[in-house]
Amino acid sequence: MGKKKKAGTSLLYQLIGEARGYDDVIIMGRGDPDFDTPPHIVAAAKHAMIHHHNDYTPPQGLLPLRQAIAERVKRVNNIDVDPDTEVVVTNGGQEALFLMVLAVTSPGDEMIVPEPNYNTYADSLAFAGGVKVEVQTYAETDFRAHPQDVRDAITDKTRSLLLVSPNNPAASVIAPADMQEMLDIAVEHDLMILADDIYDLFVYDDFQHVSPASLPGGKERTLTLNALSKAYSMTGWRLGWIVGPADLMARVTELKAAVSGGASVISQYAGIAALTGPQDAVEMMAEAYRRRRRMVLDALDAMGMNYGMPQGGQFVFADIGFTGLDSAEVAQRMLTEQHVLAYPGSAFSKDRKDYLRMTFLQPEDQLLEGLERMKVAMDNIMAEKK
Amino acid sequence: MPSESKDAILAQHRANDDLNTPLLPQVARGDSDLAADGMRGPLDERIIAAASAALENGQTHYVDVPGIGPLRAAVADYLKGAATANYQEGNILITAGVQESRFLSIQMIGELYDSIALPAVIHPGVRKALGVRGRNPKTMSVDPAQGYLPSIDAIAQAAADGCRLFYLESPSRLSGAVYAADEVAAISQIIADNDAAVIWDQGLAPWVEGAYASPAALDSECARTATIGEAYSGMGLASWFVGYIAAPEAWVPSMQSQKQIMAICTSTASQYAALEAGQLYTEARGRQLSRLARLRADLLGAASEAGLTVVGGQAINIIALNLSADDMKKISRAGIDFAAGGLFGAPDVIRLNVNHSTAAALHALN
Repeated sequence: MGKKKKAGTSLLYQLIGEARGYDDVIIMGRGDPDFDTPPHIVAAAKHAMIHHHNDYTPPQGLLPLRQAIAERVKRVNNIDVDPDTEVVVTNGGQEALFLMVLAVTSPGDEMIVPEPNYNTYADSLAFAGGVKVEVQTYAETDFRAHPQDVRDAITDKTRSLLLVSPNNPAASVIAPADMQEMLDIAVEHDLMILADDIYDLFVYDDFQHVSPASLPGGKERTLTLNALSKAYSMTGWRLGWIVGPADLMARVTELKAAVSGGASVISQYAGIAALTGPQDAVEMMAEAYRRRRRMVLDALDAMGMNYGMPQGGQFVFADIGFTGLDSAEVAQRMLTEQHVLAYPGSAFSKDRKDYLRMTFLQPEDQLLEGLERMKVAMDNIMAEKK
Repeated sequence: MPSESKDAILAQHRANDDLNTPLLPQVARGDSDLAADGMRGPLDERIIAAASAALENGQTHYVDVPGIGPLRAAVADYLKGAATANYQEGNILITAGVQESRFLSIQMIGELYDSIALPAVIHPGVRKALGVRGRNPKTMSVDPAQGYLPSIDAIAQAAADGCRLFYLESPSRLSGAVYAADEVAAISQIIADNDAAVIWDQGLAPWVEGAYASPAALDSECARTATIGEAYSGMGLASWFVGYIAAPEAWVPSMQSQKQIMAICTSTASQYAALEAGQLYTEARGRQLSRLARLRADLLGAASEAGLTVVGGQAINIIALNLSADDMKKISRAGIDFAAGGLFGAPDVIRLNVNHSTAAALHALN
């Protein structure tokens, strides 16, 4: 390829940059839903521009938004939180993630991270001076994180356990029994839990999402993040939250103030409309993702590709080991030759060089076209191999 | 169930005085709140129209990490005009407000240097940003007679002591005092002679009447100066949280990468609003300066009549007073909030925003 090898976030941004140069590119990489934000939310933002543009917002966010978040996490996640002291509004799920990691990590602390995982966790942990301790999961078991593997990874430096369910990029959902066992381990070894629930509304078939903070004894040691980006197609608004016990949330509040002050007041009013207004758009999008997921799986089956069954989320993590090439090279060739962007597994974990992450966040005609082009790219690679 | 692990986290948190420094409100919480960093202001209908149109046209998705291209270019142009700095679009990072600008610049540029020198009197957000990773800065003494700015000698001494990264405000966020052109030239010389760098907070510069000097103007290759501030302050966008960092291209990638890690990008509605605000800025700022100048002149007259000591400053959106603790209590008892100088490191000073309510604070002292 003649290009310097990059890793993680840098690699993804190199690919995104190249993708911009193709008029006919089909993006199956970035986790940005193709749907625009529902109109009633945009209308609420316009109203706020006229009537609330000068409103003061504390670093933890407007109280009406925190109340709406508290109602949402009770309704969806069965977590009881006090909007006065146990909710902090953030600049999207990404800032929530960063703040959560900072809140519980001191230099040298170990965090147990089921792999593969969203690359920003490693970046945030590195910023905090923490150490990532990986627990591997495998496609053969649909990327299930085994509680015993977590138990085996614990040392006297372990401070926290990261639980992302549904997982990004592997799309696995932690089963209720496993979640209970993870919490039992955390209690037994006095670990903090960082729970990423951002895909909690996107769970397929008979799988069930459980928030660890909803289990008895879970809330006092768990920080839980979520955001409006995925569920309401609001990626550009940068609005998310963390909920957790008041004592830890006091620290999160100070960190939020130190990192960025507050969140845009316009986004916050839009967020209130999203959480308290009609939810039919969320249902419509969830139904579309269910349909598209099936399309992707059918196409991968037709290509004879293996994958861990996506139990939730908005992507499929597919095995391209049969090509004999590094996933970064496969992703590069798909992009350069077929103008299809999928993310290489190596961007998520150094041990996943034989996987690609594909989203199903495109209109269905584009998704089908992207899958067709992907097949051509794979056929070309295999023809060269012969 | 008790958790020793959590107790350890909380104990560490309680001991972190820098991180626990209170942050000032970004805008007034009411008519009697004179403590805010930013100004409440009318929002031009054209800004609302531009932000609304962007949202209705589907600009509700992620945008580029460093900001939308037109806004980056507009901020670069603004800095060329306001500070005669030679920044281009590639030097600009749009942030989610000036506190994010502080955090990103201090943390990421700070990684390039062994130590950072701060004025003893500085905006509390600076120490708060430093407190996230518990870094100990070198403190430069300040001169109350110069509006609590560090003297050139103090900066030179810090350089002689081995410090190679400086964080400076001009105007001072407490007093509004600025460095004169010859002082900025001297600072630039110290920076160049010591192969050093400076993070220069000029967020209050729009409120300086007349000439304003920035080291970025003397840094012809934009190699040593990172400039930070709010984007188009006074345009009614303080609660929308839009700021900027203008920095040498060599420094931009690490801050951009960290911005991606922290937030991915800045709110699209805020960015499109700021883009339109930039178009209207020159005209609106002229009107605001005239209004503030009149208000401030009246306040200075009232302060003089009351025998109060005003700290000299050129930024006319604020007024700083030397006050006794008893006088500060009088203002508080009158229901008026002010920015306590103690948060900045000057406990015998208060900062008041200049607006129609400020006179009430002075009356409380009579």
